[in-house]
Amino acid sequence: MIENRPGLTFLAHLVLIAGVLIVALPVWVAFVASTRGATDFMSGTIPMWPGPHLIENYSRMLDTGLSTSGTPPVGLMMFNSLVMALSIAIGKIAISMLSAFAIVYFRFPFRGLAFWCIFITLMLPVEVRIVPSFQVVAGLGLLNSYAGLSLPLIASATATFLFRQVFLTIPDELTEAARIDGAGPMKFFRDILLPLSRTNMAALFVILFIYGWNQYLWPLLITTDAQYYTIVAGIKRMADVVDGLPQWHLVMATAILAMLPPVAVVIGMQRLFVKGLVETEK
Amino acid sequence: MASITLDNLGKVYPGGTRAVGDVNIDIADGEFIVLVGPSGCGKSTLLRMVAGLESISEGEVRIGDRVVNDVEPADRDIAMVFQNYALYPHMSVRQNLAYGLKNRGTPKAEIERRVKEAAEILQIGPFLDRKPRALSGGQRQRVAMGRAITREPAVFLFDEPLSNLDAKLRVAMRLEIKELQKRLRTTSIYVTHDQLEAMTLADRLVVLNGGRIEQIGTPLDVYRRPASTFVASFIGSPAMNLLDAKAVPHLPGTAHAGTIGIRPEDLSLAEDGLIEMNVMAVEELGAQRLVHGRTSGEAITIALPSDAPLGDTLKLGFDRKNLHLFSRDSGARID
Repeated sequence: MIENRPGLTFLAHLVLIAGVLIVALPVWVAFVASTRGATDFMSGTIPMWPGPHLIENYSRMLDTGLSTSGTPPVGLMMFNSLVMALSIAIGKIAISMLSAFAIVYFRFPFRGLAFWCIFITLMLPVEVRIVPSFQVVAGLGLLNSYAGLSLPLIASATATFLFRQVFLTIPDELTEAARIDGAGPMKFFRDILLPLSRTNMAALFVILFIYGWNQYLWPLLITTDAQYYTIVAGIKRMADVVDGLPQWHLVMATAILAMLPPVAVVIGMQRLFVKGLVETEK
Repeated sequence: MASITLDNLGKVYPGGTRAVGDVNIDIADGEFIVLVGPSGCGKSTLLRMVAGLESISEGEVRIGDRVVNDVEPADRDIAMVFQNYALYPHMSVRQNLAYGLKNRGTPKAEIERRVKEAAEILQIGPFLDRKPRALSGGQRQRVAMGRAITREPAVFLFDEPLSNLDAKLRVAMRLEIKELQKRLRTTSIYVTHDQLEAMTLADRLVVLNGGRIEQIGTPLDVYRRPASTFVASFIGSPAMNLLDAKAVPHLPGTAHAGTIGIRPEDLSLAEDGLIEMNVMAVEELGAQRLVHGRTSGEAITIALPSDAPLGDTLKLGFDRKNLHLFSRDSGARID
């Protein structure tokens, strides 16, 4: 829609700016808190401008962490989160691409059944199956391990469907041309399907990385060893003080640090991300 | 180079639908065969059975002396050109041409040589490092043909390769395909629904209807002696007039026929003509003028020189030897 009325343009900008302010305000407050001293946020009025303790707060969190809450230094937790988010994102993409490949390109018995089984898992997100999943992971001895953090979250119906749609848009003639050109199934997958779904993989990676990074309930449940705490679950532990005041300045510094990797991924992959979501022609 | 034999070939889909049946064709080494017919006549299915992209439910396909029914497409020594080109969009033209050879383990130097040769033949040298999306339709078609040429196969298969091009380019490419095939002397099977394309390209035409062969013959044979009313109406433009013999009872020597066929260009104006035609519409083609009308309730078309006089009714004459007679029951030709 193309309108050329200054009043409307002004109104549109007003609405957008208001939206941005509403979204950005909590982030700004978190940042301000992370630059203040321990008591500033307890005084009754919430300061709106940064204070002098920025470097002090951040270096403390990165260095030693908040030992009173039993959490390790932020650096380790961020590394744990990174491992978890990367394994989930890469694992999900790999598994769902292969299963979509099987469903779209192979005629095998019970293909329809397999498809519906994958479909049904859409109704079983982590929160619903958390108790049985915990049972299984505990039984396999995967508590407090990277595998335990990521494996149960890797299977993904959504990603499988996305790749199925992508593969269905690839014309049959291309598949046939590849067959005549002597490309076997796996070669076809590697030489044709992979490069053609590059942008979709990138878009999915961004979404899944953030999904993995933001996982909260699952890591909280299966990590009891501080060595495997992830940052999102760690923040919760820091803010949870039984007798005393939460160290808001340190918690907020951690929160700001926790935001950085997803932001970096989004900014770094923005171009591919948008392309992957809007591009339809193969 | 190889001959191809289709022996009692048939295709029945799992649901029981028959797409193709009783197809017997012997294709000589180096011959250019065109499969032509209306959409849904099974011509593409037939081609895809030769290519190995469609399983064979009856009969045999032999390329050379080898039965290839159960041979993978890649091992049949064929190359195929698709209607929508089917170029790999993420590869450069050069990689597109080389992909099949690379998969076969052809040495690098040999691939290089063949790609260069194909690029020269098809004049796509300047585009070798471009991606397909940066090419026009005609150029993409050339690349698709280049991909077939680099393979140096025994058989070329063309599946309506020109239907996505505009009319002018189609005529030019048609000529090029013909020249190319003459030069390379590679046995070729070409599928089209365009009878003009079929006539101009073919050494021999195979006219298909409803999954069965109606007629096999050189373009002129098929044009001059169509084997059935279907072929008569399909081959030739404008289409042959097919008149119910009963509706025009006063033509001598046609008593035993059900349908009388005569081509619009074989009719002429004559004072003492036996056919009287009520003119309904006139199409000016420049060199010719097509007059459509009715005679005894049957539609009839005549091709006249553009300066021929017109009226509401015309008397038409013809040469007896230009009449085609067809049986009433089967529509087959009667001699």
